[in-house]
Amino acid sequence: MNAPLLSVKNLTVDFHTSEGVTRAVNNISFDIPAGKTIGIVGESGSGKSVTSLAVMGLLQKPAAKIPSGEILFKGQDILKYSDSQMRDIRGNDISMIFQEPMTSLNPVFKVGDQIAETLRVHKNLSKKEAWEKAVHLMDLVGIPNPTGRAHTYPHEMSGGQKQRVMIAMAISCEPKLLIADEPTTALDVTIQKQVLDLLFRLQQEYHMSMMFITHDLGVIGDIADDVVVMYRSNVVEKNNAQTIFTGAKHPYTKGLLACRPKLGANPKRLLTVSDFMNESGEEIKIDTAKVVVYDKEVVPEKSSDILLEVKNLVTQFPIKGGFFNRTVDQFKAVNDVSFTLKKGQTLGLVGESGCGKTTLGRTILRLIEPAGGQIIYNGKDITGVYGEELRLLRRKMQIIFQDPYSSLNPRMTIAEILTEPLVIHKVGSSKQERLDMAKQLAEKVGLKVAQLNRYPHEFSGGQRQRISIARALMLRPEFVVCDESVSALDVSIQAQVLNLLLDLQDEFGLTYVFISHDLSVVNFIADEVGVMNAGRIIEMDKASRIYKNPKEEYTRMLLSAIPKGETKSAT
Amino acid sequence: MLQYIIRRLLYMIPVLLGVSLVIFILFNMIGGDPTAVLLGKNANARAMADLREQLGLNKSLFLQYLDVVKSAFTFDFGRSWATKQEITYMITQGAYPSLCLTIPAFVISTVLSLIISLVVAFYRGRGIDLFVRFFCIAGMSISALTYILAFQWIFAFELGWFEISGFEYGFPDFIPYIALPAIIWIILSIGPDVRFFRTVILDEIYQDYVRTARAKGLSEVTILLKHVLRNAMIPIITYVVIQIPFLILGALLLESFFGIPGLGGITLNALNSSDFPVIKAMAILSSVVYILFSLLSDILYTFADPRVKLK
Amino acid sequence: MKENSLWKDSFKRLAQDKTAMISLVIVIMYTLVALLSAMGLIASDWAREVGASNLPPSAEHWFGTDIFGRSVLAKVLRGTQVAMSVGVATAVISIPIGVFLGAIAGYFGGWIDDAVTWLYTTFSSIPNIMLLISITMILGKGLFAVYIALGATSWVTLSRLIRGEVMKHKEREYVQAAGAIGGGHMRKLFRHILPNVTHIVIINTSLQFQIAIKSEVILSYLGIGVQGEPSWGTMIDDAKLEISRGVWWQLAGATLAMFLIVLAFNLLGDALRDSLDPKLKGK
Repeated sequence: MNAPLLSVKNLTVDFHTSEGVTRAVNNISFDIPAGKTIGIVGESGSGKSVTSLAVMGLLQKPAAKIPSGEILFKGQDILKYSDSQMRDIRGNDISMIFQEPMTSLNPVFKVGDQIAETLRVHKNLSKKEAWEKAVHLMDLVGIPNPTGRAHTYPHEMSGGQKQRVMIAMAISCEPKLLIADEPTTALDVTIQKQVLDLLFRLQQEYHMSMMFITHDLGVIGDIADDVVVMYRSNVVEKNNAQTIFTGAKHPYTKGLLACRPKLGANPKRLLTVSDFMNESGEEIKIDTAKVVVYDKEVVPEKSSDILLEVKNLVTQFPIKGGFFNRTVDQFKAVNDVSFTLKKGQTLGLVGESGCGKTTLGRTILRLIEPAGGQIIYNGKDITGVYGEELRLLRRKMQIIFQDPYSSLNPRMTIAEILTEPLVIHKVGSSKQERLDMAKQLAEKVGLKVAQLNRYPHEFSGGQRQRISIARALMLRPEFVVCDESVSALDVSIQAQVLNLLLDLQDEFGLTYVFISHDLSVVNFIADEVGVMNAGRIIEMDKASRIYKNPKEEYTRMLLSAIPKGETKSAT
Repeated sequence: MLQYIIRRLLYMIPVLLGVSLVIFILFNMIGGDPTAVLLGKNANARAMADLREQLGLNKSLFLQYLDVVKSAFTFDFGRSWATKQEITYMITQGAYPSLCLTIPAFVISTVLSLIISLVVAFYRGRGIDLFVRFFCIAGMSISALTYILAFQWIFAFELGWFEISGFEYGFPDFIPYIALPAIIWIILSIGPDVRFFRTVILDEIYQDYVRTARAKGLSEVTILLKHVLRNAMIPIITYVVIQIPFLILGALLLESFFGIPGLGGITLNALNSSDFPVIKAMAILSSVVYILFSLLSDILYTFADPRVKLK
Repeated sequence: MKENSLWKDSFKRLAQDKTAMISLVIVIMYTLVALLSAMGLIASDWAREVGASNLPPSAEHWFGTDIFGRSVLAKVLRGTQVAMSVGVATAVISIPIGVFLGAIAGYFGGWIDDAVTWLYTTFSSIPNIMLLISITMILGKGLFAVYIALGATSWVTLSRLIRGEVMKHKEREYVQAAGAIGGGHMRKLFRHILPNVTHIVIINTSLQFQIAIKSEVILSYLGIGVQGEPSWGTMIDDAKLEISRGVWWQLAGATLAMFLIVLAFNLLGDALRDSLDPKLKGK
């Protein structure tokens, strides 16, 4: 075998800040052979993005230091290159696409010009030639009507299309190595699938090497040849993809593989990294009791009492326009939706962004006013309930939000956040009593009591989501809407939170409406699934049935987009 | 687009009515009866009544308010109490010297500030950046009055490089008179301008699209002058355009110190002689100009930023 | 376990910033001088003749004497009281108005927002200097008119900033969460949103304070500010006639006094922005 295209040898990266030195990457080594795809997997903060920026020579200069190591590209150590030598390589031999397609393009230039710019810098093309090539590239990455679309500005494109433009830009000079840093994480499942297919196709066509960075092992199963697993700044395992997927050795890798909900199986709980590995990184024996698989179809229904019935619900937002900016039309975000939900059950709502699932969840809770239809909760129509009565209703119905970073008031301690619902509803007679109640629940969701007088910014995303859950449960509600509650979390954390939600459901007899764009997650947690598209529920059935026999074409498309979590050679 | 401009023009009406209302409340309601001021303490009742009639002060408050509104549209402000001239005539006379001073000073200071802030943004965090930043803040902390007094004394009086005071009409002739005040204007503007421009440019430098531009292999200079500047220009244009009305208002202090017979000088004279109608006229006029230019700045904004789509 | 609020974090960061700390010391010193002067403990005898007319600075009279043989240093100290009182009065008038109007406009939207927006557009359409001149002219010369005039102009910026920030926070999930647990408008606005926009008030006040001081100097110089008491502005006005005779110390004294406090507030404002802005937190 020839020398690898890129070879990272004993690379260490430190960040120097006023608070001291942090080691972001610790003595890692791996190779990327020509024409192969390497997946670099790890949770946020594991050092995988820093590694890719180091290869690009894009680390923030004064703060980031590379005390040791080499990055050999075609046998040359590019860490020793001058700025201008690196500029010749960037975008030309090595190019990169980023996680946030929304902000990665310059908002004030036409996308055609932005693609052409790379060509003009590296290939000395005339303005006209570069533009024509840009249009051709846009065609190649599957943007319809490229001649016309080249004249549009980034904000006029969808997220998926922007990512295609980023890809067109990255491959414009036919690079030897393409670095993709979480290129699909910000996208819907269906778009993610298309972008992955596109990257795979281009990699084959151009015989590129690819370095694909992700927190989700499942995503790269289809495209990676080799996998490098990073954990806390170190490479803990590297091997070919098949070996990783079928015979991972390191407990962290095993945990990553196990924590991803799969469509075929129906475990009662998800295994998480902490089932394989203790705090100090040593392997532990798996508690076999946790590996129970059951078939949801044969599980007896927990109850037959109907808790919630939604009839012909409509929620609309005014469309403003015309000379005086008056309402000219109504946009029906939720359009004639009906369903029933039994006590103790979980209804999963899936659909792409903009399908109305979030609006539906908030309308049911009366956080948004419905325009028509009925919401019958415990036998009572609550669409016309206001004031004190609505406030009392809030004790019974709660919500857990998506973004763990914006859902907690940054200026309140955890204790204040947790006791606030009690204060509002005058539960508990004294401050101490309320605090005791908060402590009790905090322990249940896996927080330490000693942490209660801390502030949200001192917690990780997963911990914050636990706080959100505890807040929602402080008033002992019967019904909880989980609005994309695990979508912002890394897969390993996601599994822990899903397990927690299930445990709490058992303990408190909760009824959930679980909203997500991720079908595998919904399949794991929900008893029944409703597929939403353009404000309507187009298909609804038992979870297990909908995955086995989807009736609607749209549902089939959503299903086929789910990453298999297996290697390409294995399927 | 056209619809937006028309709607924006229509919004000028309530704002103009509001401005008129504020000025009406100040001058006609709180301001009280000016006849005593005008005729002196020993005026007889008859003369005061006549004057009230003449000034339209016998009208109902509503009609008086309408007069204020009308003047905002017709620019007919009546006569000065002190000079008895038509105020409109005084303003047209004063505009020329004012603009001779403010336009060149404004253009030079804006261009200079932009260049300085680009250089400083390029070397952000390094010595030159800290140095310029400190000088901007220190420069802003000295009173405009001090600059004027000290510069006039040193450069015009002691060294005799510039005219101490006065003005001559006609292109090359006015230069010796406006040079020193223009330099002071530039020194006074560079501090706040550079601070603002630098902040705006640095806000852009840390955006994701700059990282993309770097990943393309562009040089830092290209990134700054093409990608960053084009985005930073959006707030900068707004900031610059909205300053233009103040050019028309003239440089109050500079003009009075350097004896330039501009609008600023007129305003200060009116202030000293309690010439209410002139102050009132200048307040209305400057507000109208301000409203027009804020409209212009909004419209330019829509051209500069493709993301803003206005129906 | 020690709690670690964003405020505490901010102040820790601020305490590490040497420029900020020096600025803070300057502000505190000026405040002390102003307070002592207001209580009549220092500079109360500023009008007393202490030496010959127009003496240059010396060991005895650090800042020299003015035309009447009065100590320029005493006048500068007395002027500090005037300057600081204007800054405080402006803040006292503009913060309640600016925060209240901005908060209700941003939070409730609709016609309230339209009305508030109209009000501050109107006020910001009259160039500040014209509004200042008009108000002081009509209310009559004196410090009271200066307070009112500066208060009337400085709430506008604050109100606009608060409105924008409240609108942003209103949509945040933590505010919606407060609604979901049954919190009403008052709780959402006062318990949740306002504590998260307080930093804007602090930063803005620090910057408005120095604008107020600078404006007072110009208004007093124009003769429509403080009457019968020394102010840095009237001292500069005196200097206008003296400087051609080489008497520069009154100008220098007033300029230096103003320079230090305005510089301190400028630097402090910047430092506060860096340390209080939660945008920098967690990123």
